[in-house]
Amino acid sequence: MLDIKNLHVTVGGKEILKGLTLSIQPGQVHAIMGPNGSGKSTLSFVLAGRSGYDVTEGSIIYNGEDLKAMATEDRAAKGVFLAMQYPVEIPGVTTMTFLKTALNSQRRKRGESDLDAIGVLKLVRAKAKELNVSEEMLKRALNVGFSGGEKKRLEILQMSIFEPKLAILDETDSGLDIDALRLVAEGVNALRSPERAMLVITHYQRLLDYIVPDRIHVLAKGRIVAEGGKELALELEAKGYEHIVGQAA
Amino acid sequence: MSAALAKRRDEARMIFEGRGIPTRRAEEWKYSDLKSALGEAGLGQEAAATRIMGLPQGLEFADLADPNAPAWVSQHLGTLARNAVSEASLAFADGGLALRVPAGQAIAIPLALELSGAGHLRLLLVLEAGASLSLFETGDTAAPRNAGIEIVLGEGAALDHVRLTRPVPGVQVEEIALSLAAKARYSAHFASFGGKLSRLELTIALEGEGAEAHLSGVSVLGGEAHADITTHIIHRKGNTHSTQLFKKVAGGKGRAVYQGRVTVAKGADGADSRQTAKALLLSETAEADLKPELEIFADDVKCAHGAAIGDLDGDSLFYLRARGIPEADARALLIHAFLEDALTNITRDDVRGMVRNAVGHALAALL
Repeated sequence: MLDIKNLHVTVGGKEILKGLTLSIQPGQVHAIMGPNGSGKSTLSFVLAGRSGYDVTEGSIIYNGEDLKAMATEDRAAKGVFLAMQYPVEIPGVTTMTFLKTALNSQRRKRGESDLDAIGVLKLVRAKAKELNVSEEMLKRALNVGFSGGEKKRLEILQMSIFEPKLAILDETDSGLDIDALRLVAEGVNALRSPERAMLVITHYQRLLDYIVPDRIHVLAKGRIVAEGGKELALELEAKGYEHIVGQAA
Repeated sequence: MSAALAKRRDEARMIFEGRGIPTRRAEEWKYSDLKSALGEAGLGQEAAATRIMGLPQGLEFADLADPNAPAWVSQHLGTLARNAVSEASLAFADGGLALRVPAGQAIAIPLALELSGAGHLRLLLVLEAGASLSLFETGDTAAPRNAGIEIVLGEGAALDHVRLTRPVPGVQVEEIALSLAAKARYSAHFASFGGKLSRLELTIALEGEGAEAHLSGVSVLGGEAHADITTHIIHRKGNTHSTQLFKKVAGGKGRAVYQGRVTVAKGADGADSRQTAKALLLSETAEADLKPELEIFADDVKCAHGAAIGDLDGDSLFYLRARGIPEADARALLIHAFLEDALTNITRDDVRGMVRNAVGHALAALL
């Protein structure tokens, strides 16, 4: 589904990713772990298509297509979803209006007809209930005044509504207490399916107790320096990044 | 016309003729060069008109030209603060309208006023103690027009005012002077789409304890449109309260001006004033001049002011696009969102709907 080869990315003239190679098949959940500043968020932004993140070398093939050549919004319509570490607050746009606009924008791009207001409402309500997102939250301005947990729950709600093929979760565990983390992880696990791939980016092993990955990649200084199964997370937790990164270097 | 009023009008004519039309050398006209925008022809001495679409029941009405106009007309007309051009409207607007809501009357139906034609016009609106009214003001695109409006709010009176103007090819200036007695409340929204030169100047005197003024406004300016909103709120007594929230969007060579001065007089303890003006510039050639000012002579007051000029937020734009919303739609959504909190101040749903429509049309033309 996703094939990244020798990816080099610069941000503001500084090279952050320095030859990253990674491949994910449908149905798999991969985790990317790494210390601060290793390039984890850069990878997520490059995949989602944020401007200012320039690919200088290498390739990103998504379902046979060159992802770099696609506009940000086209990637979303084709099933790439990034649950952001810091979801933005947008005063003046209600959460419900945002969800409806985004959903129908994606549908239109795929040549599907718009869902009417009632259709969207039904869909959103059903999914919101599962994630404990209240009606009141949906009426509020997007992310404005939401707690950390509410923001992350709304990200997962969007993932559940948009039904992406490739979901990237960028530090979804940051800022969450244990109850909020469990709720979010359950939401993510419910969305695991044979057609969907997930890339879970995290600093800590904690999240991976709840969302158990098929593969773990350790990112340091812009490269994958170690790979393994889920047991790698435990080793990292016990010995620290310094140990593994040091060994690789 | 009473002798006192005739004298006020003569004085106004002399003052205007002495000072002439303001140029940008006058500090308060720095961003709005009226003299050069008007050119040789100046403001002229014609009289424009005010049209009323259906006079709601309970409202009293007088023609300012009527020599037998009731006493309340000459008691108030021409008594409030005047700027350079409202001297001219007082001097040259032959006739004009005076409206009064008697004490304790609550007028349920909004009063719809249209300012019409080129020239000077004058309007007096008096709400006696405890009276209330909702005013919806529009104008045609005739120019140049110079409107001078005086509003007197008695104790506990409440006026809800919405002004919605169309884009004007020429010059339109308007000065609204208000006086508020104790516990009177003025709530207003000004939606402007600019002109060759368009200026609204408000002078609001909170004369009585507990009086309140709440102003909001949106401007959407494209092409070479200019819109200036200049306010001066004077907190003369204690526990008076004022809020201002102005949002402006300018593209093309549009130019948005906000000058807001708040004065808290000596002894006006417990006064509370907030003013915010923000502008979003959509092009390199658009311009915004935002100038909030505070003058405080009292000890125990709460005053806050802020102004910001910016571009659309890159994080927000990315977030929306990453959710599949095309860039042009995402930009439009964010611009609407930027203006939204200034629109929520409009209390009537039907009026808010009209203003929102006008904003939508103006933005569609701009994007």
